[in-house]
Amino acid sequence: MTSGSSAHDVILVWQDGQEGSDEREERLSVGEDEIVLTAAECAGVALPFGCRTGACATCTGKLLDGRIEHARPPRALKERHREAGYVLLCIAEPRSDCRIVVGSSVQAELVSNPWQ
Amino acid sequence: MSDAQQPDDTTAHADHEGHDTEGPGYTTPQAAIEESEPEKIAYVMGLYVGTDVDAPDFLGVVDIDPDSETYTEIIDRVEMPNRGDELHHFGWNACSSSCHMDGLERRHLVIPGQRSSRIHVVDTKDRRNPELESVIEPEEVFEHDLSAPHTTHCIPDGQILISMLGDADGDLPGGFLALDENFEVDGRWEPPGEIEMNYDYWYQPRHNVMVSSEWAAPKTYYPGFDMDDVEAGNYGQRLHVWDWENKTVEQTIDLGEEGLIPLEVRFLHSPEATHGYVGAALSSNVFHFHDAGEEWRAEPVIDVEAREHDGWDMPVPGLVTDLLVSMDDRYLFFSNWLHGDVRMYDISDPANPRLADRIWAGGHFGDPAPVQDRELAGGPQMLQLSLDGERLYWTTSLFSSWDNQFYPEEAEQGSVMLKADVDPRNGSMSLDEEFLVDFGDLPDGPARAHEIRWPDGDCTSDVWQ
Repeated sequence: MTSGSSAHDVILVWQDGQEGSDEREERLSVGEDEIVLTAAECAGVALPFGCRTGACATCTGKLLDGRIEHARPPRALKERHREAGYVLLCIAEPRSDCRIVVGSSVQAELVSNPWQ
Repeated sequence: MSDAQQPDDTTAHADHEGHDTEGPGYTTPQAAIEESEPEKIAYVMGLYVGTDVDAPDFLGVVDIDPDSETYTEIIDRVEMPNRGDELHHFGWNACSSSCHMDGLERRHLVIPGQRSSRIHVVDTKDRRNPELESVIEPEEVFEHDLSAPHTTHCIPDGQILISMLGDADGDLPGGFLALDENFEVDGRWEPPGEIEMNYDYWYQPRHNVMVSSEWAAPKTYYPGFDMDDVEAGNYGQRLHVWDWENKTVEQTIDLGEEGLIPLEVRFLHSPEATHGYVGAALSSNVFHFHDAGEEWRAEPVIDVEAREHDGWDMPVPGLVTDLLVSMDDRYLFFSNWLHGDVRMYDISDPANPRLADRIWAGGHFGDPAPVQDRELAGGPQMLQLSLDGERLYWTTSLFSSWDNQFYPEEAEQGSVMLKADVDPRNGSMSLDEEFLVDFGDLPDGPARAHEIRWPDGDCTSDVWQ
């Protein structure tokens, strides 16, 4: 496998509640067959995660730009989540340069309080 | 110290067959009440999973000795080696069911990670300074096509049994994983496929029975609660009655719409009893189950009514998330996490619980009055009662993603541990305003707090043969 040599710029964006305010960004170089979470760990960048198998959604990010493929089925995401651009960073491989919203608040967007 | 604890005394342990040796625990539930000292420390799960705090989950050692200078402080934390575990429930390597096992000690805590499927073994030889001893990595668990470990009980021969909620992919079916006495994976306990969904379980060895309950597939409940999943039938509503020796399901009881998401299972402590309770979280009920001779039966005996709330579009359902039975089998306590109360029921007639008392603290309806100026985020959740039945403690976190949905402020504020003084003679409780353990004030940042265990056995784990 030589495609690993082609790397993409993956920009991770943390949003702090208010839209656009207090953003923090990290830029990573991630190989095509490299998992974004693993690349972040190697670079010393902490992201939330849990099961590392695509079942728990703790690592959910939201793709703003670029293309991601999941190395395994993203079981924790429903169709509506995938259509809205949510990705699971524990099984996500970049297929182009990407810009992804990350941090614990992204997972919390997946479901809301059904009674409120 | 009572005579029963003298090493060469055999009389107290000779009250029935097999109890002429010195193992861990107490010979009977009543012996636990009489012989135990008041609890001085509590082990409490503390967690950071799912937050932006870059720290692993931990086992917290909380000083609950009122005579101590560090009363209500977290005096030690055993950090796990990895992040992302979601420490949740945990158990001892031995309980009173092992009291015939000469030489076995109640010394090791088995602490699974709900999300990671990693299993930790902590040595508590030094009760105030426990140490991590060994770790079973997730890959070893996935080899048996299991994931998402939940309830940990010791079983009478020195083994450990853990309910597992999913297969290796976080899908169904779940099952049970057995560890050997060296805390290594022994393999799958039951023939795979006996059940689809799994959650909590309790066994009553004298009657050769185990009852297990159902949450959902990990991939369903991990990301949070979604009403679409309820409509799709992705949440459990059944109890499974097992032949304990054969490890097979003998009967499945469908609780119907009144029994959606049956969580904690508690038998009465008397080894003779064939009565128990399970809380149905989503349908806001407590079921009583019992051996009716030819078959086991389960009926709803407590119903929590939904309540109107100004800030909510729909009436707020009760959410019965934890329950426990006092060691003397006289009282049932449960937490109503969304509303914000802890209830105490007289169960001297097990099929007809009678509300004795309740306390409001936090939640969506509790008096918002803070305890010691500390705002309460979240409602009463995991409960633990002293062996003598006079002190009830609880924490406020349910599950990281569900907390974020129903109490988003808990992520910023962290959990608290609270306490009520219980008067079993008069059937009443009162909040102890002097007691507050603040998990919001820790060096790495605010943490959630979950299950509570005592070093010398407790009302939610000890079983008798």
